[in-house]
Amino acid sequence: MTIKARFLRITHIFFAILMLIQLLPNKSSKEVCTSSLIAFAIAAEAVVIICSFLIKKKESLLLTLDIFGFIYVFLTAWTLATAKFDLLNDLLFPPPGKVIAQFAEDKTVILTNIKSSVGIIVQGFLLAAVTAIPLGLLIGLNARLGNAASYLTKFFSSIPPIVYIPYGIALLPTFRSVSIFVIFLASFWPIFAGTMSGVLNVDKKIIDSAKVLNVKKPAMLTSIILPASLSQIFLGCNQGLSVSFILLTSAEMIGARDGMGYYVKYYSDFGDYTRTITGLLVIGIVVIAVTFLFNIFRQYLLRWKG
Amino acid sequence: MNTSKIEIKNLTVDYIEKKKSFTALKNVSFPVNEGEFVSIIGASGCGKSTLLSVLEGINKPAEGEVLIDGERVNGTGSNRSVVFQHYSLFPWMTTRKNVAFGIQQVRKELSRTQRLQIADEFLDKVGLSEFKNKYPSRLSGGMQQRAAIARALAMDTEILLMDEPFSALDAKNRIALQELLLKLWEGENSENKKTVVFVTHDIDEAIFLSDKIVVLTSHPGTVYDIVEVPFERPRNREKLIERKDYAALRSKLLSMFYHDIADRIGGNEVVI
Repeated sequence: MTIKARFLRITHIFFAILMLIQLLPNKSSKEVCTSSLIAFAIAAEAVVIICSFLIKKKESLLLTLDIFGFIYVFLTAWTLATAKFDLLNDLLFPPPGKVIAQFAEDKTVILTNIKSSVGIIVQGFLLAAVTAIPLGLLIGLNARLGNAASYLTKFFSSIPPIVYIPYGIALLPTFRSVSIFVIFLASFWPIFAGTMSGVLNVDKKIIDSAKVLNVKKPAMLTSIILPASLSQIFLGCNQGLSVSFILLTSAEMIGARDGMGYYVKYYSDFGDYTRTITGLLVIGIVVIAVTFLFNIFRQYLLRWKG
Repeated sequence: MNTSKIEIKNLTVDYIEKKKSFTALKNVSFPVNEGEFVSIIGASGCGKSTLLSVLEGINKPAEGEVLIDGERVNGTGSNRSVVFQHYSLFPWMTTRKNVAFGIQQVRKELSRTQRLQIADEFLDKVGLSEFKNKYPSRLSGGMQQRAAIARALAMDTEILLMDEPFSALDAKNRIALQELLLKLWEGENSENKKTVVFVTHDIDEAIFLSDKIVVLTSHPGTVYDIVEVPFERPRNREKLIERKDYAALRSKLLSMFYHDIADRIGGNEVVI
């Protein structure tokens, strides 16, 4: 791409529009925190410019620019509807600057909440992965056992994991241990089912090719069956991960003293909708970030796929 | 030395498909001598790949047996290596790792460095040095088969089994790989050449490569004839195809092929 094609894009016009509308007088009687919004938008634009330098592939660069374009347009519409023309109820719909300012103000609390939530998810999920994958491999290898196990899996995964919570509370001492337990259960079944279906669907030609090489049982499992089922295992993991987030945030709204779900629930009870929206956006960002990192990991392990 | 390396004795193999059992091979017997290159040809569905799978040890016969060095084949063994038409290589290993992994299975005593060194040597022989760190999905079909041959030869087994290894390749690649295979096989110490069993449906390929051709008929597969290929080695394709005895051998094999097909679709009622 030429320099011109890289930097002369419509995204920058949307940025300029977002900046220009800040000059309009505020109609809202409440505080609107214009400076926070401007700081945020400038930071975003800085990221866009850095990306324009760094991203080599045309498609990826255009994708990034388009996404930021959407964000600018959304922020513009939001600002106009709230701060500038006061079209919406200002209690339920705070202006964007206020949400950004709130985020900056609460960042220590928010970080603690993220740490708590992500920590629980990582522990429960990893516990599920390290048990479900080896078990799935071993049981999937035996066609008869695998068949029986897939029926049991269907039964157990049909129970919505959230209903384990009351039993978990009776079983375990702290909210944290209950959450880890429930997330473990919620992730275990999809990962286990994914692994088994991966093993059962390994191409027979691949197995034959390994057999004629005289590959012994342990190496067969680790060097052949495991990599051959990896795509399916990751499908199960993705499913487990998304269920985990739904589950944890729900659980946090019911019984926690910290965590991202707790933050949203707590402040909405007080009618503090600026913090509620801040919390929602934070959850979105965290889920996207965790999924993104997980996908990078997946793509690395599956880099051999054509 | 003309001892029988492989002895196939009264082999009958049944196949079960959709709960119906049918006979793929019936009463097949022939010997393969040590250091001999034997091709098995026949129309598709004649059971030639089934026969090879019994030699590989993947398939078990209903009756009869296969002896290697006088011992009954009972499963796979480290004295044989195999090249399939597809999927010989593991897609999650680089080309180099694929070869090294094969070596590791038969020669446990070697260190990792030694295995990689042998792998590099054989990848160089098949002209894939530049591609050794690529995954199979990044290689063309011809390159994948080269890598599979490199692995089979690097494993240095006494017997090499090849199941239509070049059938999926275009004509140019097929010829290049036939020549490469012969060069590598003939180039070895003539005292202990590998014994090769090569399955194909290509008559020219069989003549060019083999010492002996086993012709199978179909449904069920039985031995129709065993034909010696008398041409001296090393062989030159251009000179070979100009020879009268080559043409004679070729038409003899072709007539066996068509004879079988004519028999199957109704004998003398069919005019081809």
